[in-house]
Amino acid sequence: MTEGAPERHARILVIDDEEQIRRALKSVLQARHYDVDLAASAEEGIELTAERTPDAIILDLTLPSMSGLEACSRLREWYEGPILVLSVCSGDADKIAALDLGADDYLTKPFSTGELLARLRALLRRASPAGSPVNEVISGDLRIDFARRLVTLRGAHVKLTRIEFEILALLARNAGRVVTSSMLLENVWGPEYVRDTQTLRVHVSHLRKKIETPGDVPRFVLTEPSVGFRFAETDEDRSR
Amino acid sequence: MILDASPPGGGPNRGRACYAPHMDWRRDITRWGGYPLAAVAIGLSSLAFFPLRGIVSAPVVMLFYVPIIVAIARVSGTKASACAAALAFLFIDLLYIPPYYRLTIESLPEWIGLIIFLVVALISGQQTGRLRERERAALRRQSELELLNRLSFRIASEHSITATAQYVAEQVVRVGNARRTALYRGDGEGEPRCVASAGDTTSASNEQALAQWVLTADKAVGYPSLHEESEEHPVATVPPDGALPGVTADAVFLPLQTVQGLEGVFVAQPASESGFGQDEARLLVSVANLTAAAFERERLADEAAHTHALRETDRMKTTLVSSVSHELKTPLAAATARVTGLIDEGASCDSERVRTELVAVSEDLVRLDASIGDLLDLSRLESDAWRPNLVAEDVSDVLGTALSRLSRHQAERITFSLEPDLPPVTVDFSQLARAFVNLMENALTYSPAGSPVTVGANATAGNVIISIEDRGPGVPDAEKPLVFDKFFRGSTSGASPGGTGLGLAIASEIVRSHDGTLTVEDAAPRGARFVMTLPATGGTSD
Repeated sequence: MTEGAPERHARILVIDDEEQIRRALKSVLQARHYDVDLAASAEEGIELTAERTPDAIILDLTLPSMSGLEACSRLREWYEGPILVLSVCSGDADKIAALDLGADDYLTKPFSTGELLARLRALLRRASPAGSPVNEVISGDLRIDFARRLVTLRGAHVKLTRIEFEILALLARNAGRVVTSSMLLENVWGPEYVRDTQTLRVHVSHLRKKIETPGDVPRFVLTEPSVGFRFAETDEDRSR
Repeated sequence: MILDASPPGGGPNRGRACYAPHMDWRRDITRWGGYPLAAVAIGLSSLAFFPLRGIVSAPVVMLFYVPIIVAIARVSGTKASACAAALAFLFIDLLYIPPYYRLTIESLPEWIGLIIFLVVALISGQQTGRLRERERAALRRQSELELLNRLSFRIASEHSITATAQYVAEQVVRVGNARRTALYRGDGEGEPRCVASAGDTTSASNEQALAQWVLTADKAVGYPSLHEESEEHPVATVPPDGALPGVTADAVFLPLQTVQGLEGVFVAQPASESGFGQDEARLLVSVANLTAAAFERERLADEAAHTHALRETDRMKTTLVSSVSHELKTPLAAATARVTGLIDEGASCDSERVRTELVAVSEDLVRLDASIGDLLDLSRLESDAWRPNLVAEDVSDVLGTALSRLSRHQAERITFSLEPDLPPVTVDFSQLARAFVNLMENALTYSPAGSPVTVGANATAGNVIISIEDRGPGVPDAEKPLVFDKFFRGSTSGASPGGTGLGLAIASEIVRSHDGTLTVEDAAPRGARFVMTLPATGGTSD
């Protein structure tokens, strides 16, 4: 639990109206050598974002006066760093709306520290401009080579259609992070297709048949109910 | 107050007309035809004996008349037989004792003989008549007793109060000389409702209103006064004084009274114009009392069942509250104790010990969090607040997501054996995933560390069957029906394994809301196998 301190001290802004959560997150994050800023309201959070330029924002969706959702959309107008939203209820529609508005991932309260730190690390790594552009992703037996548009499973070439490859590529580039159905549809098919979730399901099903093991559960492309899909952790993630 | 069926004087029944309908003709003979019958019988026998004049003596002829007078007494009663005796006396004098065809008698012995005949005839007739009336009374008592017997047997053995009421109504019509009977239920508040009726099925327009009045006033209407010994019109047809202006009762309305109060009203309309006799009235009262007891018994049984249900609910609530408070307070108390212990020890505490304590505290908090989450989910499921969002889903997909919710250490112990190309199931993805997580966690918790848990799925006849099997101690047969109960912990689970005791209850509730089944059975060679059956999509819908 003490591993994972980044070389450069990343700055995290926590926007949550609950004092206890702010204090808890502050001590947990500071223990991992993050620099932490705290805001008790959306307005204060937006101000602090402009002032301190945090590397990532943890945003609670249930906030007084300005909602977390509106804060998310305002921040996204100019802030490019990752936003991790916190929601109270697993069936929360706001969570999906926040993801579609540009939030990068979500956590359902209550969450374990380990889960929070893992998500945060994944977000920071992908957002890091210093990190080399990802050319390939390896997760267990599956290897995805983005440049050569090549997918191999246990060394054997897997023949995917263009759509299947693009779905897999988008998910794999965001490995460990949820990708909403509308994001997938917009990026693979185009903005006019964002509501066509059934088509997406069919293609994901075809993709799974080609890369997943028959008789086993899906290990690479996981469903996030009523949100979208998530690619399994990469080997790189697991080694951390 | 219970109506007393016995007459106020307590005296024996005074030779009144019998009441059973099948004896009606005899009663009519008694009332209207007794005297002509006596006259005709004596006249005809006199004609028959006439040729014997001169062959047999007058005393012998007198002997012939005695059985005839006895027979008349038997059929028509004492008065008719006395009348017959007088007639016979006259005929014998006119026809057999000289001088013939005149009332005068010449010899004293003839006179004495004739007087003796009259006395004997009168006494024989009287005795026979009394015997006949006693016999009738006995018969009447017997059929009354039989009726009451039948009713009490029925009331004791019949569970349905409606059937009992109907039986009572029919029996009284059959035996009790009533044209119509009806039973109303009510306690004076609200309209009484008719639960049974027999005989003439069209009720009088004022029946309901009178029944209502009887219930409110707790008084009988049209009930014959038992103090009256007059034979005529024993039924008072007068409506209650000023209670219901313009309403007259042509039937008897008896309140069904018990110690606890009123249960209803018994209505009986007499078959004959003259109304009910006292015996019939007494019978009606007995029937009313029996019926009241039956109604009361049924009401008390209802109340007892209701009380039992309330007590059961109460008991379950108490159990739930104590279990919930136990589930929530135990980890909280443990965490508080550890933290306050650390604070008290202060600087003397080494960092390794602080760490150990904090790990334990975090485990307590994780458990507390799981308990709260489970309780919330269960209450949402039970109150139907967690509306399932039903979509055709692939079971393996849901299992995959469920697996991703487990820790990596837990997930490594689970192996899958799923039939390829399973039909989809129409489910709420999140709910079903939750059920799978709970079942997998249960299997992992109740089996030795490191032992495998196998999850299988296959399709059979319109269903998809998912099994989760462990290598633990299994579930004893006696506990199999209980494992899905809230807060149930198996005897083989040993020390508290840290679950909330709600996981299987939640899983079971989710499966139930998806029209599926969840059962537990023994796995070979050892362990428990939880089997979930879900209807496959396409069998009935989509």
